[in-house]
Amino acid sequence: MTSGELRVRLFAALREQAGWQDRLLAHQDGMTARALWRGLELGGSEPPATVRIAINQEFGALDTVLAPGDEVAFLPPINGG
Amino acid sequence: MPSPPDPALPPDPAPHQDPALIDVELSADPFDPLLTLERWQATLPDAGAAEAHFSGRVRPVAADGSPLEALELEHYPGMTERRIEAISHSLARRHGVMAVLVRHRIGRIAPNEAIVLVAVVADRRGPALRCCAEVLETLKHEAPFWKREWIHGRGHWLTGNTPL
Repeated sequence: MTSGELRVRLFAALREQAGWQDRLLAHQDGMTARALWRGLELGGSEPPATVRIAINQEFGALDTVLAPGDEVAFLPPINGG
Repeated sequence: MPSPPDPALPPDPAPHQDPALIDVELSADPFDPLLTLERWQATLPDAGAAEAHFSGRVRPVAADGSPLEALELEHYPGMTERRIEAISHSLARRHGVMAVLVRHRIGRIAPNEAIVLVAVVADRRGPALRCCAEVLETLKHEAPFWKREWIHGRGHWLTGNTPL
């Protein structure tokens, strides 16, 4: 990944629905996780309420403005233990 | 330098001054809960007066009642371990306990194999029991794991946790 890119990761059912698990995208000023979801055509204009966002492996918000080099993950409902 | 408070975790109303010993490990291989406890206890500098344990095993039946071939646990490498450590530290401070152990399987798990072990050492039974239960419940919802049931060679992702 170059310093001007974003890494997007999908897990579990989301990964299988999309058919990919990891993508590198060019960063654009003002880009948010919500815009990423829409641009990647992952379904609808924003993730379902049950999908959580992680930015650099910390839970984040859909409208957080992303920085070059960020890793964004869309997480389907969590069920460990 | 202490990390900032995590809004997803309970606040620390009375932070414990002595940092608890936190031992977290994810394992792709089966583990024996009792043997794991015995080894962990031997590493603790203070046995404590109260110790609470929970171990969970994979049910032999799927959510729809079919015989389960295997349960698969996917995780987010790096984030999952850090979330469990953060949950353990936060709850250890909140309950004022001395040590927390978490073992969690990842990958493909056969029915009846152990999937999770949580153990807590404290000075009294109340904090030990409460902390043990809260670590378990919190990691179920706040540490990124995803379960897939395998039945007759077909996988099905689960979307929720089993009832308490």
